[in-house]
Amino acid sequence: MIRSVGNLLRTLACHNDYMLLNSVRSIGTSVSLFRDVVDRKEMLKALPAIDEGTAGEKSAAVDTLSHGQNIFPTCDSENRLFGGIPFKNLPIINIRVSHNNTIFSFTDAKGVPSLIRSCGIEGFKNTRKGTNIAAQTTAITFGKKTLERGVKTVRVRVRGLGPGRLASIKGLQMAGVDIVSITDSTRVSWTPLRPRKQRKL
Amino acid sequence: MRHASFIARTVFVQNNDVEAACRVLNRILGKEDILDQYRRTRYFERPFEFRRRINFERCKAIYNEDMNRKINFVLRKNRNDPFPGCL
Repeated sequence: MIRSVGNLLRTLACHNDYMLLNSVRSIGTSVSLFRDVVDRKEMLKALPAIDEGTAGEKSAAVDTLSHGQNIFPTCDSENRLFGGIPFKNLPIINIRVSHNNTIFSFTDAKGVPSLIRSCGIEGFKNTRKGTNIAAQTTAITFGKKTLERGVKTVRVRVRGLGPGRLASIKGLQMAGVDIVSITDSTRVSWTPLRPRKQRKL
Repeated sequence: MRHASFIARTVFVQNNDVEAACRVLNRILGKEDILDQYRRTRYFERPFEFRRRINFERCKAIYNEDMNRKINFVLRKNRNDPFPGCL
């Protein structure tokens, strides 16, 4: 269309000396038409999804694992033995995951904390704290520290969503810790206090 | 949500396969709408957004109900007239 208008002007210019002298200028269009991002909402939609460590959330596939027995706890699973220790007496590793950091703490079966470590302590600073790589490396060092204390079998309790959710559990396993169970203790309320107002994007 | 700890929302790891256990847990949390509720309550949902969401969910449920009926009908076997409405 622009080109055809340009051609028209050019033919007109042949008939008009004035226009010929001034030559034909290309028609300027506004920059906004050539901008890649038209709509901010669409741009945000096109961005890759943020990793929240919830792999398998949307999948409808039937896991073969769920057909196995003893995958979910029952009333008498608290006395089930793992490495000679009943399930209820196993030490706990609590992982608190947020978008900006991942915090590990090691407690005994009663919940008395004895070791704490976060991605910030590990040496990751600012936004790097909230990455899955930071969570994994912290998990590996944390797992090694628990092994130094002579603890091998633990149960893991995860709270919150974030990039470190899956990576930290994987890191613990890579360190050589024997994870018996994974519990989610994300705080969810159906009658919450009024949360903060929405972010303006 | 208060439930007995290490009984509710707990999955045992089998054969040291942590990832599979996580996937099972995440799938259940996703299906039970727990993760969605968590995400929804990070920021205040204004009343118009609440209405819009509820209306959308209602419409979706009605659509899904009829669509499931249709799919079941098409997938049904041993029909007297296998292609009703077709000549």
